[in-house]
Amino acid sequence: MHELYLAESIINIISNYAEHNGFKKVNIVFLSCGRLSCIESKTLQFAFDVQAKGTAAEGAVLEFQILPAMIHCFSCEKDLEVEIHTGVCPSCGGHEVVLTAGTEELKILELDVD
Amino acid sequence: MKVKVVKKVLDANDRIAEENRKLFDQHKIFVINLMSSPGAGKTSLVEQTIKAIKNKYKIAVIEGDIQDTYDADRIAKLKIPVVQINTGGACHIDGNMIREALPSFDLNKIDLLIVENVGNLVCPAEFKIGENIKVMLLSTPEGADKPAKYPLMFQESAALLINKMDLISYIDFDLKKARRDSLSLNKKLKIFEVSCKTAEGLEAWIAWLTQRIDEFKKK
Repeated sequence: MHELYLAESIINIISNYAEHNGFKKVNIVFLSCGRLSCIESKTLQFAFDVQAKGTAAEGAVLEFQILPAMIHCFSCEKDLEVEIHTGVCPSCGGHEVVLTAGTEELKILELDVD
Repeated sequence: MKVKVVKKVLDANDRIAEENRKLFDQHKIFVINLMSSPGAGKTSLVEQTIKAIKNKYKIAVIEGDIQDTYDADRIAKLKIPVVQINTGGACHIDGNMIREALPSFDLNKIDLLIVENVGNLVCPAEFKIGENIKVMLLSTPEGADKPAKYPLMFQESAALLINKMDLISYIDFDLKKARRDSLSLNKKLKIFEVSCKTAEGLEAWIAWLTQRIDEFKKK
Protein backbone atom coordinates (compact mmCIF):
# COMPACT_ATOMS: atom_id res chain seq x y z
CA MET A 1 0.00 0.00 0.00
CA HIS A 2 2.79 2.47 0.83
CA GLU A 3 3.90 2.08 -2.79
CA LEU A 4 1.21 4.62 -3.79
CA TYR A 5 2.73 7.27 -1.55
CA LEU A 6 6.30 6.35 -2.49
CA ALA A 7 5.40 6.59 -6.21
CA GLU A 8 3.87 10.01 -5.64
CA SER A 9 7.03 11.17 -3.84
CA ILE A 10 9.24 9.89 -6.67
CA ILE A 11 7.12 11.73 -9.24
CA ASN A 12 7.27 14.95 -7.18
CA ILE A 13 11.07 14.73 -6.96
CA ILE A 14 11.32 14.06 -10.72
CA SER A 15 9.03 16.99 -11.50
CA ASN A 16 11.27 19.32 -9.45
CA TYR A 17 14.37 18.09 -11.24
CA ALA A 18 12.65 18.38 -14.64
CA GLU A 19 11.87 22.01 -13.89
CA HIS A 20 15.42 22.84 -12.78
CA ASN A 21 17.33 20.76 -15.32
CA GLY A 22 15.00 21.37 -18.27
CA PHE A 23 14.43 17.79 -19.39
CA LYS A 24 11.08 16.72 -20.80
CA LYS A 25 11.18 12.94 -20.56
CA VAL A 26 12.56 10.36 -18.16
CA ASN A 27 13.51 6.96 -19.54
CA ILE A 28 14.82 5.22 -16.44
CA VAL A 29 14.66 6.00 -12.72
CA PHE A 30 17.51 4.28 -10.85
CA LEU A 31 16.51 3.43 -7.30
CA SER A 32 18.05 1.59 -4.40
CA CYS A 33 16.59 -0.07 -1.31
CA GLY A 34 17.39 -2.87 1.11
CA ARG A 35 16.21 -6.40 0.39
CA LEU A 36 14.09 -6.38 3.56
CA SER A 37 12.64 -2.89 3.14
CA CYS A 38 9.19 -4.30 2.26
CA ILE A 39 9.00 -2.58 -1.12
CA GLU A 40 7.31 -4.51 -3.91
CA SER A 41 8.97 -3.41 -7.14
CA LYS A 42 6.07 -4.46 -9.40
CA THR A 43 3.50 -2.72 -7.18
CA LEU A 44 5.64 0.40 -7.09
CA GLN A 45 5.99 0.42 -10.89
CA PHE A 46 2.21 0.04 -11.25
CA ALA A 47 1.50 2.85 -8.78
CA PHE A 48 4.11 4.96 -10.55
CA ASP A 49 2.62 4.36 -14.03
CA VAL A 50 -0.86 5.33 -12.87
CA GLN A 51 0.24 8.56 -11.22
CA ALA A 52 2.93 9.62 -13.70
CA LYS A 53 0.48 10.23 -16.56
CA GLY A 54 0.86 13.77 -17.91
CA THR A 55 4.13 14.43 -16.04
CA ALA A 56 7.78 14.29 -17.15
CA ALA A 57 7.92 10.90 -15.45
CA GLU A 58 5.31 9.30 -17.71
CA GLY A 59 6.51 6.06 -19.28
CA ALA A 60 9.69 5.83 -17.19
CA VAL A 61 10.94 2.43 -16.08
CA LEU A 62 11.96 1.94 -12.45
CA GLU A 63 15.22 0.08 -12.07
CA PHE A 64 16.07 -1.25 -8.62
CA GLN A 65 19.43 -1.84 -7.06
CA ILE A 66 18.60 -4.20 -4.21
CA LEU A 67 21.06 -3.87 -1.33
CA PRO A 68 21.89 -7.19 0.36
CA ALA A 69 20.57 -8.24 3.75
CA MET A 70 23.48 -9.10 6.06
CA ILE A 71 23.69 -10.71 9.46
CA HIS A 72 26.48 -10.91 11.96
CA CYS A 73 26.69 -14.08 14.03
CA PHE A 74 28.24 -13.78 17.48
CA SER A 75 28.61 -17.55 17.80
CA CYS A 76 30.80 -18.15 14.73
CA GLU A 77 31.77 -14.47 14.25
CA LYS A 78 30.82 -14.52 10.56
CA ASP A 79 29.17 -11.82 8.48
CA LEU A 80 26.83 -13.47 6.00
CA GLU A 81 24.36 -12.44 3.33
CA VAL A 82 20.82 -13.81 3.81
CA GLU A 83 17.72 -13.85 1.62
CA ILE A 84 15.37 -13.56 4.57
CA HIS A 85 16.10 -12.85 8.20
CA THR A 86 15.11 -15.78 10.38
CA GLY A 87 17.12 -14.96 13.49
CA VAL A 88 19.22 -18.09 12.91
CA CYS A 89 22.77 -18.15 11.56
CA PRO A 90 22.77 -20.05 8.20
CA SER A 91 26.35 -21.15 8.87
CA CYS A 92 26.38 -22.51 12.42
CA GLY A 93 22.68 -22.51 13.34
CA GLY A 94 23.34 -20.19 16.29
CA HIS A 95 20.72 -17.76 17.56
CA GLU A 96 23.11 -14.99 18.57
CA VAL A 97 22.68 -13.02 15.36
CA VAL A 98 21.97 -9.41 14.48
CA LEU A 99 20.73 -8.00 11.22
CA THR A 100 23.36 -5.49 10.12
CA ALA A 101 22.02 -4.42 6.70
CA GLY A 102 18.99 -4.88 4.48
CA THR A 103 16.33 -2.43 5.61
CA GLU A 104 17.80 0.64 3.87
CA GLU A 105 15.04 2.99 2.79
CA LEU A 106 14.16 3.77 -0.81
CA LYS A 107 16.44 6.28 -2.54
CA ILE A 108 16.53 7.79 -6.01
CA LEU A 109 20.09 7.51 -7.30
CA GLU A 110 19.96 8.79 -10.85
CA LEU A 111 17.67 9.58 -13.77
CA ASP A 112 18.21 8.71 -17.41
CA VAL A 113 16.54 11.56 -19.30
CA ASP A 114 16.07 13.09 -22.74
CA MET B 1 21.67 12.03 -20.50
CA LYS B 2 22.11 11.06 -16.85
CA VAL B 3 21.03 13.28 -13.96
CA LYS B 4 22.47 12.49 -10.50
CA VAL B 5 19.87 12.71 -7.75
CA VAL B 6 20.79 10.64 -4.64
CA LYS B 7 17.83 11.58 -2.52
CA LYS B 8 15.66 9.69 -0.08
CA VAL B 9 12.24 9.24 -1.61
CA LEU B 10 10.67 10.22 1.71
CA ASP B 11 12.87 13.31 2.08
CA ALA B 12 9.89 15.69 1.94
CA ASN B 13 8.18 13.81 4.77
CA ASP B 14 11.36 13.75 6.86
CA ARG B 15 11.58 17.52 6.67
CA ILE B 16 8.00 18.02 7.82
CA ALA B 17 8.64 15.57 10.68
CA GLU B 18 11.66 17.64 11.74
CA GLU B 19 9.52 20.78 11.80
CA ASN B 20 6.94 18.97 13.94
CA ARG B 21 9.76 17.88 16.25
CA LYS B 22 10.95 21.47 16.71
CA LEU B 23 7.45 22.52 17.64
CA PHE B 24 7.14 19.66 20.14
CA ASP B 25 10.52 20.59 21.66
CA GLN B 26 9.46 24.20 22.09
CA HIS B 27 6.43 23.03 24.05
CA LYS B 28 8.24 20.19 25.84
CA ILE B 29 5.87 17.58 24.43
CA PHE B 30 6.96 13.95 24.53
CA VAL B 31 5.53 12.14 21.50
CA ILE B 32 4.91 8.42 21.10
CA ASN B 33 4.26 6.90 17.69
CA LEU B 34 2.31 3.74 18.55
CA MET B 35 2.19 1.04 15.90
CA SER B 36 0.97 -2.54 15.43
CA SER B 37 -1.20 -4.76 13.25
CA PRO B 38 -4.95 -4.11 13.35
CA GLY B 39 -6.48 -5.59 16.50
CA ALA B 40 -3.26 -6.02 18.49
CA GLY B 41 -4.58 -3.77 21.26
CA LYS B 42 -3.28 -0.26 20.57
CA THR B 43 -6.39 1.54 21.76
CA SER B 44 -6.58 -0.65 24.86
CA LEU B 45 -2.96 0.19 25.65
CA VAL B 46 -3.68 3.90 25.17
CA GLU B 47 -6.65 3.62 27.56
CA GLN B 48 -4.61 1.76 30.19
CA THR B 49 -1.71 4.19 29.89
CA ILE B 50 -4.00 7.20 30.24
CA LYS B 51 -5.64 5.72 33.34
CA ALA B 52 -2.26 5.04 34.92
CA ILE B 53 -0.61 8.44 34.38
CA LYS B 54 -3.27 11.04 33.68
CA ASN B 55 -2.82 12.56 37.12
CA LYS B 56 0.86 13.04 36.49
CA TYR B 57 0.90 14.33 32.91
CA LYS B 58 -1.40 16.28 30.62
CA ILE B 59 -2.09 13.83 27.82
CA ALA B 60 -3.48 14.24 24.31
CA VAL B 61 -4.13 11.60 21.68
CA ILE B 62 -4.22 11.49 17.88
CA GLU B 63 -6.08 8.51 16.51
CA GLY B 64 -5.27 7.39 12.99
CA ASP B 65 -7.71 5.18 11.14
CA ILE B 66 -8.68 4.73 7.54
CA GLN B 67 -12.22 5.73 8.47
CA ASP B 68 -14.64 5.98 11.42
CA THR B 69 -14.21 7.62 14.86
CA TYR B 70 -14.71 4.52 17.00
CA ASP B 71 -11.27 4.73 18.66
CA ALA B 72 -11.44 8.49 19.24
CA ASP B 73 -14.82 8.04 20.94
CA ARG B 74 -13.27 5.52 23.34
CA ILE B 75 -10.50 7.97 24.28
CA ALA B 76 -12.87 10.96 24.57
CA LYS B 77 -14.72 9.08 27.33
CA LEU B 78 -11.56 9.42 29.45
CA LYS B 79 -11.82 13.24 29.17
CA ILE B 80 -8.62 13.52 27.16
CA PRO B 81 -8.25 15.85 24.14
CA VAL B 82 -8.35 13.65 21.08
CA VAL B 83 -8.26 14.25 17.33
CA GLN B 84 -9.21 11.58 14.84
CA ILE B 85 -7.27 11.54 11.59
CA ASN B 86 -9.07 9.61 8.89
CA THR B 87 -6.40 8.77 6.38
CA GLY B 88 -9.03 7.95 3.77
CA GLY B 89 -7.31 4.86 2.47
CA ALA B 90 -3.69 5.67 3.29
CA CYS B 91 -2.04 2.87 5.23
CA HIS B 92 -0.07 5.08 7.64
CA ILE B 93 0.09 8.50 9.27
CA ASP B 94 2.68 10.85 7.80
CA GLY B 95 4.30 14.05 9.03
CA ASN B 96 1.89 16.31 7.21
CA MET B 97 -1.22 14.69 8.71
CA ILE B 98 0.20 15.39 12.18
CA ARG B 99 1.06 18.97 11.25
CA GLU B 100 -2.51 19.54 10.11
CA ALA B 101 -3.96 17.99 13.28
CA LEU B 102 -1.92 20.10 15.71
CA PRO B 103 -3.96 23.34 15.52
CA SER B 104 -6.81 21.40 17.17
CA PHE B 105 -4.78 21.21 20.41
CA ASP B 106 -3.52 23.74 22.92
CA LEU B 107 0.13 22.72 22.79
CA ASN B 108 0.88 24.58 26.02
CA LYS B 109 -1.34 22.12 27.83
CA ILE B 110 0.24 18.86 26.68
CA ASP B 111 3.10 16.87 28.27
CA LEU B 112 2.53 13.65 26.38
CA LEU B 113 1.08 13.16 22.90
CA ILE B 114 0.23 9.60 21.93
CA VAL B 115 -0.24 9.04 18.20
CA GLU B 116 -2.05 5.79 17.53
CA ASN B 117 -1.03 4.92 14.00
CA VAL B 118 -3.10 3.02 11.43
CA GLY B 119 -3.09 -0.73 12.12
CA ASN B 120 -0.39 -2.02 9.79
CA LEU B 121 2.91 -3.80 10.45
CA VAL B 122 4.76 -2.41 7.44
CA CYS B 123 4.19 1.16 6.32
CA PRO B 124 3.90 3.23 9.54
CA ALA B 125 7.51 2.38 10.45
CA GLU B 126 8.76 4.21 7.36
CA PHE B 127 7.10 7.55 7.93
CA LYS B 128 8.55 9.80 10.61
CA ILE B 129 6.04 12.12 12.26
CA GLY B 130 8.31 14.00 14.70
CA GLU B 131 8.05 11.45 17.50
CA ASN B 132 10.48 10.92 20.40
CA ILE B 133 9.98 7.18 20.33
CA LYS B 134 8.25 4.52 18.30
CA VAL B 135 6.50 1.89 20.39
CA MET B 136 4.98 -1.26 18.96
CA LEU B 137 2.61 -3.99 20.05
CA LEU B 138 2.64 -7.60 18.99
CA SER B 139 -0.29 -9.67 20.22
CA THR B 140 0.19 -13.35 20.93
CA PRO B 141 -2.51 -14.58 18.46
CA GLU B 142 -0.56 -12.97 15.59
CA GLY B 143 2.24 -15.51 15.98
CA ALA B 144 5.91 -15.36 16.84
CA ASP B 145 7.06 -15.23 13.22
CA LYS B 146 6.26 -11.53 12.85
CA PRO B 147 9.69 -10.08 13.74
CA ALA B 148 11.32 -12.17 11.00
CA LYS B 149 8.62 -11.28 8.46
CA TYR B 150 8.31 -7.57 9.21
CA PRO B 151 11.76 -6.53 10.41
CA LEU B 152 11.61 -2.77 9.93
CA MET B 153 9.11 -1.92 12.66
CA PHE B 154 11.00 -4.03 15.20
CA GLN B 155 14.22 -2.29 14.20
CA GLU B 156 12.76 1.18 14.53
CA SER B 157 10.94 0.74 17.84
CA ALA B 158 12.30 1.63 21.27
CA ALA B 159 9.83 -0.65 23.04
CA LEU B 160 7.84 -3.75 22.14
CA LEU B 161 4.82 -4.77 24.17
CA ILE B 162 3.85 -8.40 23.70
CA ASN B 163 0.13 -8.11 24.37
CA LYS B 164 -2.65 -10.61 25.12
CA MET B 165 -0.39 -12.65 27.39
CA ASP B 166 -3.62 -13.78 29.10
CA LEU B 167 -4.33 -15.91 25.99
CA ILE B 168 -0.98 -17.63 25.84
CA SER B 169 -2.14 -20.93 27.35
CA TYR B 170 -4.79 -21.28 24.60
CA ILE B 171 -2.63 -20.68 21.56
CA ASP B 172 0.71 -21.69 20.09
CA PHE B 173 2.87 -18.64 20.61
CA ASP B 174 6.60 -19.23 20.89
CA LEU B 175 7.46 -16.45 23.31
CA LYS B 176 11.15 -17.34 23.37
CA LYS B 177 11.36 -17.11 19.57
CA ALA B 178 9.48 -13.80 19.47
CA ARG B 179 11.85 -12.30 22.04
CA ARG B 180 14.97 -13.73 20.41
CA ASP B 181 14.05 -12.68 16.86
CA SER B 182 13.04 -9.20 17.99
CA LEU B 183 16.33 -8.68 19.81
CA SER B 184 18.29 -9.97 16.83
CA LEU B 185 16.80 -7.07 14.87
CA ASN B 186 17.26 -4.51 17.61
CA LYS B 187 19.52 -5.19 20.57
CA LYS B 188 18.27 -2.09 22.40
CA LEU B 189 14.60 -3.03 22.13
CA LYS B 190 12.87 -2.98 25.53
CA ILE B 191 10.36 -5.83 25.70
CA PHE B 192 7.34 -5.96 28.01
CA GLU B 193 4.96 -8.90 28.37
CA VAL B 194 1.52 -7.51 29.12
CA SER B 195 -2.21 -7.97 28.97
CA CYS B 196 -4.05 -4.74 28.29
CA LYS B 197 -7.23 -6.55 29.28
CA THR B 198 -6.18 -7.68 32.77
CA ALA B 199 -3.54 -4.92 33.16
CA GLU B 200 -0.99 -7.59 34.04
CA GLY B 201 2.60 -6.54 33.35
CA LEU B 202 1.71 -2.93 32.64
CA GLU B 203 3.49 -1.51 35.73
CA ALA B 204 6.89 -2.13 34.14
CA TRP B 205 5.81 -0.38 30.92
CA ILE B 206 4.42 2.59 32.86
CA ALA B 207 7.59 2.87 34.96
CA TRP B 208 9.78 2.79 31.84
CA LEU B 209 7.63 5.31 29.99
CA THR B 210 7.45 7.66 32.97
CA GLN B 211 11.22 7.62 33.23
CA ARG B 212 11.58 8.46 29.53
CA ILE B 213 9.14 11.36 29.78
CA ASP B 214 10.78 12.76 32.92
CA GLU B 215 14.26 12.57 31.35
CA PHE B 216 12.96 14.45 28.30
CA LYS B 217 11.26 17.10 30.46
CA LYS B 218 14.49 17.73 32.41
CA LYS B 219 16.51 18.48 29.26
